[in-house]
Amino acid sequence: MRMLDYALREGWASLWRGRGSSAFAIVAIALAIIVLGSLLLVTWNIERLLARWTSAAEFSVYLQDEATSEQRGAIEALIDDSRVADGREYVSKADALTRFRREFTELASLATGFEDNPFPASVEVRIRPDADNDGRADALVRRVATLPGVADVRYDREWLARIASGLAVVRGTGLALALLMALAAAVTVASVVRLGLQARRDEIEIMQLVGSPIAFIRGPFVAEGVLQGGVGASIALGLLWLGFAAVRAGWGVDLGALLDGDSMQFLPARFCASLVAGGMTVGGVGGFAAARHAV
Amino acid sequence: MIETHHLSKFYSRGLYALRDLSLTVRKGEFVFLTGPSGAGKSTFLRLLLIQERQSEGEIFVNGSNLSKLSRREIQEYRRGIGFVFQDFKLIPTRTVLENISFVPQVLGVPPSQQRRRAFQVLKWVGLQHRMNAYPLDLSGGEQQRVAIARALVSDPVLLLADEPTGNLDPDLSLEIMNLLREVNAGGTTVVVATHDRELIRLVGRRTVTLDGGRVVELA
Ligand SMILES: Nc1ncnc2c1ncn2[C@@H]1O[C@H](COP(=O)(O)OP(=O)(O)O)[C@@H](O)[C@H]1O
Ligand SMILES: [Mg+2]
Repeated sequence: MRMLDYALREGWASLWRGRGSSAFAIVAIALAIIVLGSLLLVTWNIERLLARWTSAAEFSVYLQDEATSEQRGAIEALIDDSRVADGREYVSKADALTRFRREFTELASLATGFEDNPFPASVEVRIRPDADNDGRADALVRRVATLPGVADVRYDREWLARIASGLAVVRGTGLALALLMALAAAVTVASVVRLGLQARRDEIEIMQLVGSPIAFIRGPFVAEGVLQGGVGASIALGLLWLGFAAVRAGWGVDLGALLDGDSMQFLPARFCASLVAGGMTVGGVGGFAAARHAV
Repeated sequence: MIETHHLSKFYSRGLYALRDLSLTVRKGEFVFLTGPSGAGKSTFLRLLLIQERQSEGEIFVNGSNLSKLSRREIQEYRRGIGFVFQDFKLIPTRTVLENISFVPQVLGVPPSQQRRRAFQVLKWVGLQHRMNAYPLDLSGGEQQRVAIARALVSDPVLLLADEPTGNLDPDLSLEIMNLLREVNAGGTTVVVATHDRELIRLVGRRTVTLDGGRVVELA
């Protein structure tokens, strides 16, 4: 406790004494945290969206115009027996047209020009989430496609998978970049803390001579790094939030629509806490490296 | 208290700063280490404080072999030793009292005791009225008294002083020596390195004389 108190006080004093160079270290850490934070912010929101879309998975079986009601009955029976569906709804040609007019009002004039209704009837099937994952839904889709009276089956999982794998790539590169920047930040902290060493050399020499525990001697260096990291990470979070608020103010409505009425969200508190802790760790590592060099 | 066996130190082969020193200092003794400049006095004290390692031979202090101590044990060992240097080594940005309480502070002593203990030793060297002054506002003699107070604040069993009067006038020098004599009277073993033969004569204690790293007179 007393060691912590001493380390924090001396660390802060040293940071303040060298505030010009400390600013470098703080900026370096803030940049790393901004990269990591924006990455988290974007991927986290996209992931929430993906999760929603995945849980709302469905496929549509489009019927040929000349499909008989027996054929439709066979299709629906196969779907019901598969235990893959959570529910299904028959959308007639007329329903489809009405729906189109309702959802695309600006294009409604187009639809009035139609000689006859161009929209096919369909059966919309909501898939149980577990079936979506274990491939039973895929098997059902393939079987339904072969039934008579079926024009086409649309099961748009591929683009979801593509987004998910794209997200993984973004996350991978982003993480690598953030790690690299964290390393650079730690090195910056180490050199900045070492710069401030000169001012404390008398003290360090005396601490060594009077037998102060090594942890006591190194503590202020580590504390200075941790403080730089904490300040840098807090500034980064503040900037991230400002950026987030600006995006939401500018495009919030459009993005909200894309997100199915759910608004974009800033990183939850535990993520923010982890980012600050991460910045402090990076700073602490840099400070410790400086301390090891000095003592 | 201190026992050395064939202790040698050289910085480059063949050039001995200290050569084949075998010496015993008993507990509670006051010993002068003297000899011309470059004789090896400071080297011996640096070995005792483990600021440097010997090249040959062994040093035992209170029964422990100094070359066998780990890093942590070295720090522990140093807690029992007070030191005083010619250049005082006070921290210019801290007040007199803070310079002294700094030691218990970095040894983890509770804050209330830090100041109380610091004030006690400061009073003992007669400088309590300068407690809020900064070292550079003090005279040389006063600065050295603060350094002695700092050396005493953790109740050392051994006090090492390297030319403690090197920067002081003769009358102030005697004053400092009397202070060290008083420390010794309290039971602390004291080793003082000085080239000032006149001062040694005035104080009159056991004297070990070095020259060129060798003992030339072991009284
Ligand atoms: N760091 C060092 N590197 C090389 N030689 C040194 C070093 N320190 C001391 N010496 C040499 O060791 C000898 C003893 O020095 P020192 O112990 O300081 O003598 P004293 O304190 O008696 O004047 C001297 O010849 C000095 O030049
Ligand atoms: Mg000397």
